[in-house]
Amino acid sequence: MKRYSLLTLTGLLLLALALGLGTVLAAPKPVPVPQASTLHPDFILLDADGVNVLESGGAVSTMQTCGQCHDTEFIQSHAFHSDLGLSDYKETSGFNSSNGLFGEWDPLTYRYLSQSGDELLDLSTAEWLMLNGARVVGGGPATTSRNEAELEDAQGGRENPETSILKNGNPAAWDWEKSGTMEMNCFLCHLESPNNEARIDAIQSGEFGKAVTATLFGLNIVSETADGWAYNPAAFNENGELKDNSLGIQDPTNENCAACHGEVHATEEPLTFNVCDLDYPQTATTGQVISAQRINDSGVNLTGKDELDRSWDVHAERQLKCTDCHYALNNPAHASELQSVNPDHLLYDPRLLEIGEYLERPDHNFARGDSAQFNVAPEYKSTMRRCENCHDTNKSHAGWLPYNDRHMQVIACETCHIPQMYAPAFSSVDWTVIHPDGSARSECRGIEGENPTTDLVTGFTPVLMQRADTQSGKTLFAPYNLITSFYWVYEDANGNTRPVRKTDLEAVYLDGDSYAADILSAFDSNSDGILSEAELVLDAEAKQNLIAAKLEALGLENVRIEGQVQPYSINHNVVDSEGATRDCATCHNEESRVTAPMMLSESAPAGVTPQFVTGSNVATTGTFIEKDGALYYSPVNENDRTYIFGHNRIAWIDWFGALLFLGTIAGVAGHGTFRFVAARRSKRPNPVTKTVYMYEAYERFWHWLQTAAIVILLLTGLVIHRPDMFGAFSFRNIVTVHNVLAVLLALNALISIVWHLVSGEIQQYIPHPYGFIDQMIAQAKYYVQGIFKHEPHPFHKSKQRKFNPLQMVTYVGLLGVLLPLQGLTGMMMWLVQKVPAIQTWFGGLTFLAPAHTLMAWLFASFIVGHVYLTTTGATPLEAMKAMVTGYEEMETESSD
Amino acid sequence: MKNLRLPSWTLGLIGIILLILVPILYFLPRAQTKNNPADYLPEKPVHVDHSDIVQGEFTTGQDVTRACLECHEDAAAKVMSTTHWTWESKEFDVPWRDEPASIGKANQINNFCIGTQGNENKCMSCHAGYGWEEGRETQQANPENVDCLACHADTAVYGKGAFGNPAEGIDLLAAARSVKAPTRENCGKCHFDGGGGNGVKHGDLDESLYFPGESLDVHMGGENDMLCTDCHWTEDHQVLGRLLADNYTIDPQEQVSCEQCHVNQQHEDERINTHLSSVACQTCHIPAIALEDPTKVTWDWSQAGQDGREDDHFTYLKIKGEFTYDKNFAPTYLWFNGSNEYRYLLGDPLGEDGITYINKPAGNIEDPSAKIFPFKLHIAQQPYDTVNNYLLQPVTSGEGGFWDTFDWDIAFELAQEKTGLDYSGEYGFTTTYMYWPTTHMVQSADQALQCESCHGENGRMDWEALGYPGDPIEWGGRK
Repeated sequence: MKRYSLLTLTGLLLLALALGLGTVLAAPKPVPVPQASTLHPDFILLDADGVNVLESGGAVSTMQTCGQCHDTEFIQSHAFHSDLGLSDYKETSGFNSSNGLFGEWDPLTYRYLSQSGDELLDLSTAEWLMLNGARVVGGGPATTSRNEAELEDAQGGRENPETSILKNGNPAAWDWEKSGTMEMNCFLCHLESPNNEARIDAIQSGEFGKAVTATLFGLNIVSETADGWAYNPAAFNENGELKDNSLGIQDPTNENCAACHGEVHATEEPLTFNVCDLDYPQTATTGQVISAQRINDSGVNLTGKDELDRSWDVHAERQLKCTDCHYALNNPAHASELQSVNPDHLLYDPRLLEIGEYLERPDHNFARGDSAQFNVAPEYKSTMRRCENCHDTNKSHAGWLPYNDRHMQVIACETCHIPQMYAPAFSSVDWTVIHPDGSARSECRGIEGENPTTDLVTGFTPVLMQRADTQSGKTLFAPYNLITSFYWVYEDANGNTRPVRKTDLEAVYLDGDSYAADILSAFDSNSDGILSEAELVLDAEAKQNLIAAKLEALGLENVRIEGQVQPYSINHNVVDSEGATRDCATCHNEESRVTAPMMLSESAPAGVTPQFVTGSNVATTGTFIEKDGALYYSPVNENDRTYIFGHNRIAWIDWFGALLFLGTIAGVAGHGTFRFVAARRSKRPNPVTKTVYMYEAYERFWHWLQTAAIVILLLTGLVIHRPDMFGAFSFRNIVTVHNVLAVLLALNALISIVWHLVSGEIQQYIPHPYGFIDQMIAQAKYYVQGIFKHEPHPFHKSKQRKFNPLQMVTYVGLLGVLLPLQGLTGMMMWLVQKVPAIQTWFGGLTFLAPAHTLMAWLFASFIVGHVYLTTTGATPLEAMKAMVTGYEEMETESSD
Repeated sequence: MKNLRLPSWTLGLIGIILLILVPILYFLPRAQTKNNPADYLPEKPVHVDHSDIVQGEFTTGQDVTRACLECHEDAAAKVMSTTHWTWESKEFDVPWRDEPASIGKANQINNFCIGTQGNENKCMSCHAGYGWEEGRETQQANPENVDCLACHADTAVYGKGAFGNPAEGIDLLAAARSVKAPTRENCGKCHFDGGGGNGVKHGDLDESLYFPGESLDVHMGGENDMLCTDCHWTEDHQVLGRLLADNYTIDPQEQVSCEQCHVNQQHEDERINTHLSSVACQTCHIPAIALEDPTKVTWDWSQAGQDGREDDHFTYLKIKGEFTYDKNFAPTYLWFNGSNEYRYLLGDPLGEDGITYINKPAGNIEDPSAKIFPFKLHIAQQPYDTVNNYLLQPVTSGEGGFWDTFDWDIAFELAQEKTGLDYSGEYGFTTTYMYWPTTHMVQSADQALQCESCHGENGRMDWEALGYPGDPIEWGGRK
């Protein structure tokens, strides 16, 4: 050891340790591959005049900078994220002047974008941007006026909602030259870490021209100075280009989308979220959270959390990105809509965009689904691949889901695969009253409190409503959250209905930072000087009148309260098969998932029934129910032309059927009693009998097989009809037994027809017309009189003529009419899955199923009567015995 | 006549019943019969209380063994044919040697305490035999040296000391009377503390498994409360399972596998099942190593022997050098077909790239029998002969050993006759890697790895190192 110099040893050691430790540390946690595309070349940052910002010191222009290679004009004109509804803005007398965000009034954010000529200014374009700017990408309404001119050229001062702003309740002019406008901000979605906070700050302070450049703050590229911008020369190369992709240009990640849309969580940190926070609109309105994390690894204080070992969203877990489904429509890797216009014989058309052409002009209209609420660019609805475009439902449900085709005809995949939301969402927003800070009274479903880590989060079950798919034309039950809003409206001088401005509400309710005295005295029922949430509701007419009077005193006319329900579709947070709804009884039961009501509001303004927002693709066929001051929406699936076995039934049919059945039992019981009493009174002389071979072996076999089949069909049918009364049975197995027996019964009937025809036994059922009516009357008279006096049967039963006239009629009716009809209706009910057109014939299942039920009751009643009448032979059991053995002891003619 | 007719209609009745039942039974949805893994567990022998059977007096371990052999006549012979006794594998033909070689604690080295030869007084406290003071050959020849108590006595009343003999002060009668089928404690005494302390060697076996919670190991913890022998099936004292490090190739028949009990068990999720041809069960179901107690990950022998440095079990001991321990960390993943590609044999030259592999698991992306498998990698700086270019085994314990003199030269010289390897008089320290397969501390499905654990931006797999062009979720799996 001494032979080694200390230096060599230390060197060796350090090397070895470095090697060793390096490997240990590196092996378990490989350095993540940077996401940013290394393909993106270095580029010059240009200002709006196309001059390198290093020279001009001006603000960055994305249209110029990105426009060096990409066709930014094309992109902007093909981007509903940029347009935001501006292009279909049209002034109307109604509330909404577009079907998008710009010009479409949203009761959640409440403020109303004033149309030109409105009597009172509420939101001007500038303030609309300041209010919504966190989620405005730029371009569209941030650069362009409603008549397609440059915003900076807009004229009209305080009279024009495009060039004004509401200040202290009065319109003031807005200087677009000074504020600048906001170009489409490519950085927001294409940078690895855009500075969204700085961007939002710039927008909210009305400095729109700074927003794009502010997005680059914190990247060591640019900072703001008192008189402009200071660019960091070290970030640029000798050609004046930004170095080494220092912006981190990339395809948009989930985090980029999350900046505007909702909660996305991709780290190992336990997930939490803000509750009903409109900064995360998708989560606040639907409870959707995009994360691969297991729910029970999250930081959320959820009911039953231990059991929730699945991820928040199975597609996030499986590494799908937002852009995998919401892709650019001309992306050659995804472009499938091109294929749909192919001639029939052509399965694949390879003439796609070259990748270079695509990168120059990527269509920024992204594939989208059929959501009810987001009406921006409705022409792009259903452009996205839906579940069934990627998943083969027949294969994925093989072996367990019966009637797969039928289920797929009426139920959207989301219904079973998004059974429950685990984040809270808005249930109602009540703008008829306001808090001292000017916010509305709102309610959140799915949480008992406000803090998701300390208060109990219960989540919520979405309500199911029928959604019309734009592309497939199918109407499917799909999950929704319903958000109900209440608000005051008035009529302005032009006769237009407008929501009462927030500034007017504040004038009515508030006196400075607290409630006005008259408001306090009207609302403060416990007189503690504070308005609790329970007190802050217009639950009495007197309160409503007070507010209305105060609003009218402000000069508003025809003030009234309106309510609106908005369905927010839920399509994310999908669970895999293990977490999906799989129990038949969830829907096929008295209490059915399909009709589970949803509470709209715990306490709504008195006497106000809200209306569903118009123009959505959702069937609003249910009813509003008020219970204990709370308002509910209760779906009525019959109104959607659906019939759910085990859940739906027609009351009168069941009443009628049950009465008929019980009546028959009572009738035969009475008749039997009379016979019994009569027999006691005068003893019947012992009949002289002889043994007759009455029934062939096949006849007996056919009869008993039919008997067994019908009885089992009636019993299983009853379980299917009322699973709530027979919970012990597996719905699914009972349906199988019912179907098998139905086939058996049909085959038995067909074979017997052949037998009856071939053997000539069919004649038994064909009456001789002459005197038949009289004979029927004679037989009926026998049953009501003769039988009690021990009179002989009016018609002698023999092998050649087994039936009396009444029997003949009954059996022909039963076997010739009722049985085929029952078979036909049953078969069609089964066949709906294969031949969906049946659903459009005479009401489909909504007719077939009740008809089938009615006939089942008739069968049940017949069996009672039939069994009783078999006891009228020589001895009570003789006829039954004969049907078993074939031999019957017949009374001889001479017995009396 | 009645006698004749009865059968005719009962025949019809039977016909009708069959006609109804057969199609119903045929069409009724059948619940998929799932194999119950518990059905495959070995049957446990009924415990026979030996407290009235065993009579003293015993003064030596061998006395006890003689008593055992009175009834269990062939037990010693059976034990002596196992590696628990020989500490040496069968002979393997290895490509880098002309002669077949055997591998085991008895004759080869590792990168922990290095080697047993010459260190029998200490090391053999984990050997299932007594009498190592007599030397290997004499010890191995005598059936009475078999230590029945090590595996069968209650560990509360029995322990081992120098040269494999019972520790001082053990009441051998009490120990002998406590015998029963081996428990986790019996196995754990050596296997949990291998390498000289709790959790040193295996990252997946340590004393936390004496009383494991459900979240520590799904088999041994919680309700299942399984014993080592539930998986390490044992017949005639032959225990199923081979330690990778002490073998070259391992016949799958000799190895414990999940499929012993999880027969034909598929995941409900088809997507997971597509992984099964390339990913071992352990990879997803053992997300982390050393969940509760830390395990040694580096050992630097070159720092041993410093005076005036404070001893600390987890960072430095004068007799052993510097260490690092880690706990609850992700394993190292390699392709693995169950065998070694290489196992260092005494006298082998050092590795060429500065790293000498004590063992190197066999398998690569081209090998259809290989799957991605989790390993604990132990990295050491251990002594080698700079002239002869091979690893050295020192005598550490006992008189003149390194732990006595702290002089490496003496330690290596002393070892020459034990190992048969010459010591040139020049030594240095070199980096060695040793891979330990991770197979215990198995987690249930709800704690297993999920897609994003391996795939995507933050995944733990180094796909390119494994031979993939990139993340197979995008680039596709191996062909």
